[in-house]
Amino acid sequence: MKARGVGVRLVGISKSYGSVVALQPTDLAVEAGEFLTLLGPSGSGKTTMLNSIAGYVEPDRGSILFGGTDVTTMPARSRNVGMVFQNYALFPHFDVFANVGYGLRARGVGKSEIARRVAAALALVQLDGYGDRKIQQLSGGQQQRVALARALVIEPDVLLMDEPLGALDRQLRKTVQLELRRLHELHGRTTVYVTHDQEEALILSDRVAVMHEARIVQVGTAAELYTAPVDAFVAGFIGESNLLPVRVLALSAGVARIEVPDLARDLEVMASPDVAIGRPARLLLRPEHVVLDAAGGVPGSIDEIVYLGEIISARITLASGAQIWARRLANSPLERGASIRVGWAAQHLRVVAER
Amino acid sequence: MNSTPLLVRVAINCLAAITLGFLVLPILAVIPASFNAASFITLPPASVSLRWYRSFLLDGEWMMTLINSAAVASLTTAIALLLGTSAALGLQQLGERASFVLKGAFLAPLVVPVIVTAIALYRSMIDIAMTGTIWAIAIGHAILALPLVIIMVGVSLRAVDPTWHLAAAGLGAGRWMIFRTITLPNILPGIIGGAVFAAMTSFDEVVIAVFLAGYETKTLPVKMWEVIRIEFTPVAAVAATFMILLAMSLFLVVRTVGPRDVERPS
Repeated sequence: MKARGVGVRLVGISKSYGSVVALQPTDLAVEAGEFLTLLGPSGSGKTTMLNSIAGYVEPDRGSILFGGTDVTTMPARSRNVGMVFQNYALFPHFDVFANVGYGLRARGVGKSEIARRVAAALALVQLDGYGDRKIQQLSGGQQQRVALARALVIEPDVLLMDEPLGALDRQLRKTVQLELRRLHELHGRTTVYVTHDQEEALILSDRVAVMHEARIVQVGTAAELYTAPVDAFVAGFIGESNLLPVRVLALSAGVARIEVPDLARDLEVMASPDVAIGRPARLLLRPEHVVLDAAGGVPGSIDEIVYLGEIISARITLASGAQIWARRLANSPLERGASIRVGWAAQHLRVVAER
Repeated sequence: MNSTPLLVRVAINCLAAITLGFLVLPILAVIPASFNAASFITLPPASVSLRWYRSFLLDGEWMMTLINSAAVASLTTAIALLLGTSAALGLQQLGERASFVLKGAFLAPLVVPVIVTAIALYRSMIDIAMTGTIWAIAIGHAILALPLVIIMVGVSLRAVDPTWHLAAAGLGAGRWMIFRTITLPNILPGIIGGAVFAAMTSFDEVVIAVFLAGYETKTLPVKMWEVIRIEFTPVAAVAATFMILLAMSLFLVVRTVGPRDVERPS
């Protein structure tokens, strides 16, 4: 994979609208050729951040660098950025060819060169021969690909995508995700992608920046975010999780001794950096790490069973009244109402700060 | 399927037919009246003749007023389109409150009695020595036509998705290219509709024209008004027939290319 495009660096950028803070002072570095996703619930500041990179929003403070160039005050049209909008923003009065060629036309590229590059871009998104179609004649998935071709044909330094798969049905979304992944591996263009769908973020990205309440909470690879979340928000947002309240008794070298009332015992587990004695914290117990029928485990009963295809998910009420979810392969049956003893794979437990 | 009692339905349909008749019949009556051979407007025409068409078309003064009206209508349309389209574009850029207040001001000519506007204009035009000019009448008519253009263009602007502008800017287009290639093609139906309404407003306007027109700049409706007061010959019906034909053809233009109440797929 060869990297195209430039690295993007955001240094202390922030944005407020009146008294509403859209983005707290934030730093972020996207490597050249990297696929980075901004993941977070709506209102977490991810679109504000994307629009700052695109040049649609001017941050109140801080600076934005493309490679070595400061683009903070450069208008959108002078930045070489390709944007795919959530609603695609295709021009309805143009055909596919004119839509895809628009950026080249704006750059004063010659007619024959435009024809050649548009054809290549359409081939890239597997829409060969669709040039003279009207936008309204295309399906949602095809429109999405036209929008992508329009953004790519200008050879952007950075490709930005704002929830581009939001309007597609689930089945199609899977296909397009793999397609986006293929295109990125083919071209290695610096990409910043916005979504609130954690699964999508994990499938597509080299790294994910999890956003919450107008700031970045954690940046990391899918594995880092999953196995070592910095706090209860990230732990709850990435993957399925049980988060039990705990009291931190002692802390040394990244290992905490904690009291877990719901499990009726004290444990020694890995601790996230923000964990401190006296601060509220949670025990992260992933459903796949819950062991049912463990000798000497915590007593509980199964009160709900959900089949998820190859996996079975069970809700267990512990003796304390707390409820946790457990997952395992659906090859051995579980019975609702059955009394069981709950154990866990100790090496996977982690205590995280509550926020 | 229809639970309304028969009698009520018949009554409603009768009322609707009578209302429609009152609206349309006077328009249709003027056409046969124009083919009358007699010297008075009578219905039905005593005998059919093109006599009054001949005297309309061969009369230098009628032709002069027709040309004056066409000139005034063209100027009015040009002024109203330029200012009205700019105003509609500007209003869209403003915040909600400012836009609401300004829009009220722009649409005021719709509710201010025309006679008031006419008198005010008359006084002002004397001060700047413009009474009796084609331009004075056109400016007066443009005041009446401006709100119509603002409304028509405003409606079609609502169908323009703001993200199209962002997308175009992101692709490297400047303001002018965005206006020319994105905004204009999408609001063109509204502009054409506004142009038709502006032209029609001017073409049949009589109050402002009576105040501002001189002998040389008399418009067709002013001449019709004079003729009807003095002689009541079918030549006025001929003039009316021409106006109806013009109105109908312009109406067809609006229906074919004007703004439609269809949702755009986004």
